[in-house]
Amino acid sequence: MILLDHASRWYGQVIGLNDVSAQIGPGLTALLGMNGAGKSTMLRMITGQLRPTTGNVTVFGMEPFANANVYRRIGYCPEIDNFYEHMTGRYFVYHLARLAEFSREEANRRTEEVLQTVGMAERANRKIAGYSKGMRQRIKLAQAMLHNPDVFLLDEPLNGLDPVGRHEYIQLLHSLALQGKIILVSSHILYEVEQMTSALLLLHRGRLLATGDLRVIRSFIDRHPHQIRIETPEPRRAAGLLAGLDNVVSLSFAPGGEALQLEVRDPNSFYDALTSLSLEHALPIHGLSSPDNNLESVFRYLVEA
Amino acid sequence: MESYLYASSLREFLRGRRLFPWLLLALAGMLLAFVWHYLDRLSSDVDRYTAVSQMLVFHVLALSSAIFSTAIVSQEVEQKTIVYLLTRPVTRWKLLLARYIASATVVSVLGILGAFLVSFGIYQGHPFTNTLLWRDVMSLIFGAFAYGALFLMVSLLINRAMIVCLLFAFGWETIVPKMPGEMYRLSIYSHILAIADHPSTQSNNPLVNLITGTFSANTITPAGAYITLFAVTVILTALSAAWFTHFEYVPREDAE
Repeated sequence: MILLDHASRWYGQVIGLNDVSAQIGPGLTALLGMNGAGKSTMLRMITGQLRPTTGNVTVFGMEPFANANVYRRIGYCPEIDNFYEHMTGRYFVYHLARLAEFSREEANRRTEEVLQTVGMAERANRKIAGYSKGMRQRIKLAQAMLHNPDVFLLDEPLNGLDPVGRHEYIQLLHSLALQGKIILVSSHILYEVEQMTSALLLLHRGRLLATGDLRVIRSFIDRHPHQIRIETPEPRRAAGLLAGLDNVVSLSFAPGGEALQLEVRDPNSFYDALTSLSLEHALPIHGLSSPDNNLESVFRYLVEA
Repeated sequence: MESYLYASSLREFLRGRRLFPWLLLALAGMLLAFVWHYLDRLSSDVDRYTAVSQMLVFHVLALSSAIFSTAIVSQEVEQKTIVYLLTRPVTRWKLLLARYIASATVVSVLGILGAFLVSFGIYQGHPFTNTLLWRDVMSLIFGAFAYGALFLMVSLLINRAMIVCLLFAFGWETIVPKMPGEMYRLSIYSHILAIADHPSTQSNNPLVNLITGTFSANTITPAGAYITLFAVTVILTALSAAWFTHFEYVPREDAE
């Protein structure tokens, strides 16, 4: 379990993380925020590279700074693209396995195992200097998982991966999450996060804006009406019926006809009312979608708020 | 674990690209020694060896130590690879100590190789007839560890430590041993020369001393020099280990 208790981190006059309290348990959690939001600072505090200026950060009840007992249980994939370029990928992973207290034989065995898992076994004898961005990301993941840690902290791990690689990577994370691992993945790309998980921590300018399930977070944003698109062959009759509902804020006809765009408050009660109206008045509804029920909208709303 | 830390650090410092310039310099020393032998026929072998070894081995020791010692931590920070080392279950002081000893080992070996090749050149293929060689080996080892400890401490305290270390190697260590009075005692170089116990280059003519910059005789005893360099090494290494254990080493430009 990772616990941040009113954790703040200052860099001189600049604040990196501002009074963040959060609890991260097993499963896949996304750490979302724009560049400079404090994601890497938070990960560095959890990995014990930085100390909080105020507040506390603990991993399994232990303070992580320079704590070997914590490092035995965490696998960290940093955002940086820096390596020992003269090493081969295989030797790089082996070297870090030896530093993780494994014997030569065990380090060799684990190196082969993780290289196979990340799909780099065939290409690992080349020097890292010649690797593509995607290969570098895979090698970084390999070094993070070679000691079978309980916690994975992955800083922007999907950068540079091709779509197939991304899919494989996300599948791998899901399988690790199913094993009960704690996985915290930072990203500034919203659709990536949507593909991975709905559990998230949302950071902006060092502050934790929101935490929890994406859909629950979305439901809390009452200041912003939800957008709903209704596809119907009778848009004018539907508009007449829906305009009378209390929670409809605005209503317009979509370009091309046969669809209505609405802004509503309290979408759950609206959906109940819509079902009743449709049944009572025999209103045909061919499609229903909520274009802003996605992470990008949530992020925009919260940041603007 | 400790032996792997040392061995892997040693392998890192012994990479061909790192060693090549120093090997070239050692060979240049041997070549110069051969030439010196023919150009300066009036001097004794000991004097010739003293002149060439002080110029190309003892003075260069500080330079090579500055370069290798700053690679222990600050180069890792600059290359941002420090993160891989600091997020492993390795006690920080052990990591630092292993890398420091490996770095000082390489600097010592390079210094000894340089002294051996100069001796080879001066003594025309019979380096072991040089009676100064064994004392030089000891002085180079003690010097390498003392310089290494000092530069390590500097590299932990300040960013861009290489510039400061090079200024120390070329400035302080060149000027201070030649300053009047007891100032030379503040230089590691003077202590290394005290252990080596080479014949004095000070002249009876004050004008010659002014020209060569030799103002005072080195009165440090070999025993005193051994104790001082050992103390400098132990104290600075312990301080560095404590510092490295308690402070953060995150690449600055990465800090959000």
